Amino acid sequence: MLIFAARRALTDIVNNKFLHIVSIVTIALSVFIVSAFSLFFNNATDFLDAWRKGVRIIAYMSNNVAEPQRTELMETIRNSSGVAAIEFISKDDAYNDLKEKIGQQSSLLDGLDKNPLPDSLEITLADSCRKLEDIEELSQNIGGLPYVADVEYAQKWLHRFNGIYNLFKVTGLVLVSIFFIATLLIIANTIRLTMYSRREEIEIIRIIGADEEFIKYPLFFEAVAQGFLGGVAGILMLYLAFVLTVPNFAPETVFSFFEIRFISVKFSLAIVLCSMMIGWVGCFFSIRKFLKL
Amino acid sequence: MYAVQGNNSIIRMFHVSKWYGKMVALSDVTLNVCQNEFIFVTGPSGAGKSTMIKLLYMGETVSSGSILVDGMNLARISKKQIPMLRRKFGVIFQDFKLIPTKTVFQNVSLVLEVAGFKPKEIYPLVMDVLERVGIEDRSEEFPPVLSGGEKQRVAIARAMVGTPKIVLADEPTGSLDPDSAAHIFQLLRSVHERGATVIIATHDQQMINNHHGRVVRLVKGRMA
Ligand SMILES: Nc1ncnc2c1ncn2[C@@H]1O[C@H](COP(=O)(O)OP(=O)(O)O)[C@@H](O)[C@H]1O
Ligand SMILES: [Mg+2]
Repeated sequence: MLIFAARRALTDIVNNKFLHIVSIVTIALSVFIVSAFSLFFNNATDFLDAWRKGVRIIAYMSNNVAEPQRTELMETIRNSSGVAAIEFISKDDAYNDLKEKIGQQSSLLDGLDKNPLPDSLEITLADSCRKLEDIEELSQNIGGLPYVADVEYAQKWLHRFNGIYNLFKVTGLVLVSIFFIATLLIIANTIRLTMYSRREEIEIIRIIGADEEFIKYPLFFEAVAQGFLGGVAGILMLYLAFVLTVPNFAPETVFSFFEIRFISVKFSLAIVLCSMMIGWVGCFFSIRKFLKL
Repeated sequence: MYAVQGNNSIIRMFHVSKWYGKMVALSDVTLNVCQNEFIFVTGPSGAGKSTMIKLLYMGETVSSGSILVDGMNLARISKKQIPMLRRKFGVIFQDFKLIPTKTVFQNVSLVLEVAGFKPKEIYPLVMDVLERVGIEDRSEEFPPVLSGGEKQRVAIARAMVGTPKIVLADEPTGSLDPDSAAHIFQLLRSVHERGATVIIATHDQQMINNHHGRVVRLVKGRMA
């Protein structure tokens, strides 16, 4: 029975090619837009997250701290909560690093008779220590330790960033939700129109003695197939667009810590599944409305 | 009541009336149709001919009175049984009612699919009726490219393919040229000769005068 229904549905799809193609393209475009949005927002949040993870605390040391005291200091910091790693950067290393960074203008440094940079400790934060307050508290504690002259952690910048980050997350969620709902309505409506345009045909099939199952099963099959094909096509379109455009940005050359990712397989499957379910629901309601089944 | 039960009657209408809102389309019609009868239902436009046809296959339901078709009481049958009732009929319309997106073959074979025939059984039966109406060479065409006469022949093929007990035709020649109309009429005759009960609703007095058959005349919804 189901096999016959599926076969009839396939014949129907072939016979109503144009209608089905229009409907599948509409669904594909909506899926494309909603998944493009989530692709963008996923990556934007990932990007901000990665950036935030790059935040470090730099502790500048007083001059001429002897080796044992330094080791002790580093041990103390390493054992504080919220610290993932600590690295000693000698004033000479810092000087060479600076020289390399400014490259051709390094002759500017020649005027200095001695290295003005202090020794420093570079502290990487643990994942548990991402909140602004935590970072502030930790840096205050470190600043209070002996042999620490000064502490720096891009304070102002972090303040502002935190605001942007939260705003972005909320905006993204709201926009994706709006598009998601719009997509639901578009798909359901497309299916509805498909049904509506076929009500005469269905009336005829009824007059020649078709029972409800005979009429319904292929319609459900077709609606779900439309949802499936539209969903897959939409995601393929996005993938194609992704593959064609992203290498042009070559973001990894600018931000070494970040790579643009395509939406996950799970998310893609969820979208296709959703699209199929909407097909089913759209069919369910239009059947009641137009076919009075 | 000891009503005489003609044992070969296939349709019985008892005091049937039909209203559409306040509009009375059919009023107190009582009619007995025997198996293999050939009947014209006639009368001016708006007399209730189409309504009478629709009531028989339950395209509409009666407002009062009762109808028996081949032993089924239409007032008693459940929604699920309506398809079974409709498979007793082959119905032909003035506007053909073919499905434009299905081929001639598919339009006709649908009747058998609906009735649960297997694909293997369907092909020879459909080709046979298409030959009988002389349209077998156009079986893969779609209805919009056919002429009116050809469309109506497909509709007749569709009405015959399930060998229904009753064939209903509502103005079957109403939109055809005289030659095509004559051909269609001939085909309806042959359906009758093969044993079907045929009921034709028409306001074409000429057609009725030229052919024999029982004539039921309606005027303003009443039998006259
Ligand atoms: N669906 C309907 N709704 C309201 N009035 C209808 C409907 N169908 C038919 N009628 C009315 O019922 C009367 C009989 O119509 P019909 O059976 O089509 O007549 P005929 O086929 O003899 O021309 C007409 O007056 C027509 O306007
Ligand atoms: Mg009429």
